[in-house]
Amino acid sequence: MSRYLDPADSSKPYKDPTPLPSDIPKVKELGVTSAPLKSAAFFLGAYCKDYNEDFMLCKSESADPAHCLKEGRRVTRCAQDLIAKLRENCLSEFNDHWGCLEKNNQEYYHCRKDERVLNKCVFEKLGLSKTIPGAPAGKTPIHEVKNPVYTGVQK
Amino acid sequence: MPPAGGFEAVKYKRNLPFRGPSGLVILGGVTAVCAYGFYRVGKGNLEKRELQREKVWSRIHLVPLLLAEGDRDAYRRQQAALAREREIMKDVPGWEAGKSVYNKPNHRSAETIVVI
Repeated sequence: MSRYLDPADSSKPYKDPTPLPSDIPKVKELGVTSAPLKSAAFFLGAYCKDYNEDFMLCKSESADPAHCLKEGRRVTRCAQDLIAKLRENCLSEFNDHWGCLEKNNQEYYHCRKDERVLNKCVFEKLGLSKTIPGAPAGKTPIHEVKNPVYTGVQK
Repeated sequence: MPPAGGFEAVKYKRNLPFRGPSGLVILGGVTAVCAYGFYRVGKGNLEKRELQREKVWSRIHLVPLLLAEGDRDAYRRQQAALAREREIMKDVPGWEAGKSVYNKPNHRSAETIVVI
């Protein structure tokens, strides 16, 4: 007989070594930490829009994890594609920006200098631009404001 | 006897020489400083709203990616748990492994997990 062990109190981590069933196609997980993801978030939103929306529509049909595996793999592959392209074309700019985010509590407004360089590079090389949905029309978007009130040490 | 030429006139008039800027100037200055401060606060509030919007959208853009990864892991654990259940309950006739105790077909995430 087994005894109930509260996973929250367990001294062992909650790991299950069983691999995915073999009939599910394999996809390499992205394995990117939070700062690079945050740095690439808006490009990811622009580049993988169709796949992301498809996946979220699928998830709204059913919350079952088995239901949207195919769409999920597409999302992950697209994200991998984008990160690879970013690293290929704008490696130093990307590294500078996410390094800055890492050092500044992952707040965008501390890292506008590096962000502008990255945005410019990505726009030139990949044709992706950062747009914030729902921002008031006819005003400078917050990431392009010249003299913002909220700044870090770096402008 | 009074001194020659009479007594000196008694000094009774107020003698407050003008010092510093007038009250009106100070008041005006304070008002100007406050007005500029409030202008900055207002601008800052508008900016804060946009910064929040930016932060929220950066997270929204990442939701599908993280959810997809989590789903794959959840599915893997689900299948492993099902296989375990099938193995444990194989001698019980009429046992359906993975059958929900609820009649609603909606997906519910597992209430319990097994720590191996």
